Amino acid sequence: MARISIDPVTRIEGHLRIDVEVDGGTVNKAWASCTMWRGLETILRGRDAREGWVFAQRFCGVCTTVHGIASVRAVEDALALDIPPNAQYIRNLILIGHALHDHIVHFYHLSALDWVDVMSIPKADPARAASIAESSSSWQGNSRRELEAVQNKVKGIVAGGQLGIFSHGYWGHPAMRLSPEMNLILFAHYLQALEFQRKSCQVVAILGGKTPHIQNLAVGGVMNAINLNSLATMNMDRLGMLQAILEDLIPFVQQVFFVDTCLLAASYPEYFHYGRGVANYLAVPDLPLDARGTKFDLPGGVIMNGDLASVRSMENWKDEPFRKAITEDSTHAWYQGGGPVEPYKGETTPDYTDFKEDAKYTWVKAPRYNGSPMQVGPLANILVGYASGHALTRKWTNAAFDRISAVHGLKVVPNDMQSTMGRYLARAIRSAMLSELALEHLQLLTTNILNGDDTTYNAPQFPSGEIMGMGMHEAPRGALSHWVVINKGTFTNYQAVVPTTWNASPRDQNGVPGPYETSLIGNPVVDAEKPLEVLRTVHSFDPCMACSCHTLDATGKEIAQVKVQ
Amino acid sequence: MNNVVPTEQRAVSVIGLGNVFLGDDGFGPLAVETFRCQYECGPEVEVLDLGTPGLDMAPYLYGRDLVVIVDAVHSDSPSRAVSVFCEDEFASSRACLRITGHDPGLWDTLTHLRLADCGPTELIVVGAAPESCVFGDGPSAAMLNLAAEAAASIAQVLTRRGFPCIHRNVAPQPNLWWLPLGSMEGPSVPEVHVNA
Repeated sequence: MARISIDPVTRIEGHLRIDVEVDGGTVNKAWASCTMWRGLETILRGRDAREGWVFAQRFCGVCTTVHGIASVRAVEDALALDIPPNAQYIRNLILIGHALHDHIVHFYHLSALDWVDVMSIPKADPARAASIAESSSSWQGNSRRELEAVQNKVKGIVAGGQLGIFSHGYWGHPAMRLSPEMNLILFAHYLQALEFQRKSCQVVAILGGKTPHIQNLAVGGVMNAINLNSLATMNMDRLGMLQAILEDLIPFVQQVFFVDTCLLAASYPEYFHYGRGVANYLAVPDLPLDARGTKFDLPGGVIMNGDLASVRSMENWKDEPFRKAITEDSTHAWYQGGGPVEPYKGETTPDYTDFKEDAKYTWVKAPRYNGSPMQVGPLANILVGYASGHALTRKWTNAAFDRISAVHGLKVVPNDMQSTMGRYLARAIRSAMLSELALEHLQLLTTNILNGDDTTYNAPQFPSGEIMGMGMHEAPRGALSHWVVINKGTFTNYQAVVPTTWNASPRDQNGVPGPYETSLIGNPVVDAEKPLEVLRTVHSFDPCMACSCHTLDATGKEIAQVKVQ
Repeated sequence: MNNVVPTEQRAVSVIGLGNVFLGDDGFGPLAVETFRCQYECGPEVEVLDLGTPGLDMAPYLYGRDLVVIVDAVHSDSPSRAVSVFCEDEFASSRACLRITGHDPGLWDTLTHLRLADCGPTELIVVGAAPESCVFGDGPSAAMLNLAAEAAASIAQVLTRRGFPCIHRNVAPQPNLWWLPLGSMEGPSVPEVHVNA
């Protein structure tokens, strides 16, 4: 039996250590450890509730926007404050832009090289690659000339021996099975994706003032002034600019990202059988369509034990069962305390002990829903939508299944989605859905403005006593909730239950492991020195640990290592 | 300090990197905010606090003539001093940076962009060695004192490359919103020079 420690797991956001025990070529035990402390909750105590979102955006270095949104929603929930429709649409467009950016970066720049062998690209036949790509998609960037140019760049890198950031890939690993032509196609799109993740950011920046760390939020709405006769405010030029960017971006999402993920799924069908993990799923409703938050374009709900027929829909953010069901357990986390505590009473007092697999071993608490671990993320989002009959989810999920079947005849059904590959596919399906909704929400905003509504903000009024609120957001990595206790307009407690806390959850007081840990059980590991299969499953969750201290290192000290004992 | 204008019109990005809640790790945001207040630049210069963006840095480097990264830097340079590095000075260590958990993703991002023929023409790093990266304490006095020097270094880098920066006679107070409550009134706020 071999013990493998991967520390840190790279090509993720933040700091994650994975330990697995491998016996007979498969994983039989796993531990996930977040190695940095977040601690933002401590800073937020005592702050003015109207400015919490500015600080909350620093929960993460990448998903800054989502924490700002969850923060204002939590305070607005405590105040039972209505949000003007214009503000809802502007926020929704920001969230869509951010999510598309995040999903594109995850598939191409953070995880594609787990599947794509860059070193085989020089062997590809560009004409054949172009033929494959052009038969799969109407995308303009699949020509032989385009692919030849990319191949020549890779040949230059390989011939010159200057592999740079590609030096440490698991090239030639037996689990890398794409043809040289498929590797060339996907790597060409990897480079093209740089342009389109940029366009997603432009959507966020135009509406948010800047990104990362948008500046337009306010408790009660947004600070975007609307005046069709002013050059300095939201006007028809600005709306037209958004329309043009989205019309550039959407074909990449639907004709490239979505298609590539289906091709990858068809090429690695065994990954529909690995990595299922915790089969309880949680998604929260999002993209609100009215001031009170009673109608949504993305559905929420809960599925237990992998039984799609068991789906319980969450109609809105006031869902009492959800609010009562959530607890966090610190038994195996480096915090004081132990058993489950509801977020409003949560504490984040550190109690570091070093990595002790039978005691405390991570900075992540163990969130539970009625005592059960839950998997969150695009897969939960898609399964809840599919099981509850959400039309847009079914449309794009069925389109994905049809595409996969068209490649090698592989028949995929919704239950197969509960897997490592299902998580990749769900992210692409969700992106296609969001790309369609982007234009719809832009149209809703434009129509509302043209109907004469220029309201974007309702001023909050804080009562003198204690109030509590919870703000939800279905973030790119899954269900996010911020829980606040406010007294006289000041935070007296602040707790964030973030998607990666759900997925990277350690064992709880009953010894029940979380989704990462469970998903690794049964994964094959062909080469213990190069545990590529483990990384594929971990990366399928798009881990985003708390972003923390970083410094450039001009001395180039290596701190990552894979230890095999 | 916004990026609403289409980036095709921009030539220069001045980018502060770092976690503002981890002491001296927030040197980059501190220095670029100081620069933004002390110097007037043309519209082609974009000044950004990007925090800890990882690979999400790409849009802000995309197609630029010049990128100036300001960050806490571990190097052999003297402590309590601002150093200016060109890209080649980091080149020998790039392979290792690829797999460091603390790396901000700069070199990966640059490699991606250069392969796609849309990398910046020149990249400069302005940095200083951190003394303490402790959660929630704000930057050390030494780093606060270096902020104005770093701003001057940024201005010098830009001016020498034909992007004029004019020192303001009356500079606005930098918006260091992340400092611990109450410390904004203390002596640790970086001095904003006012010329007679």
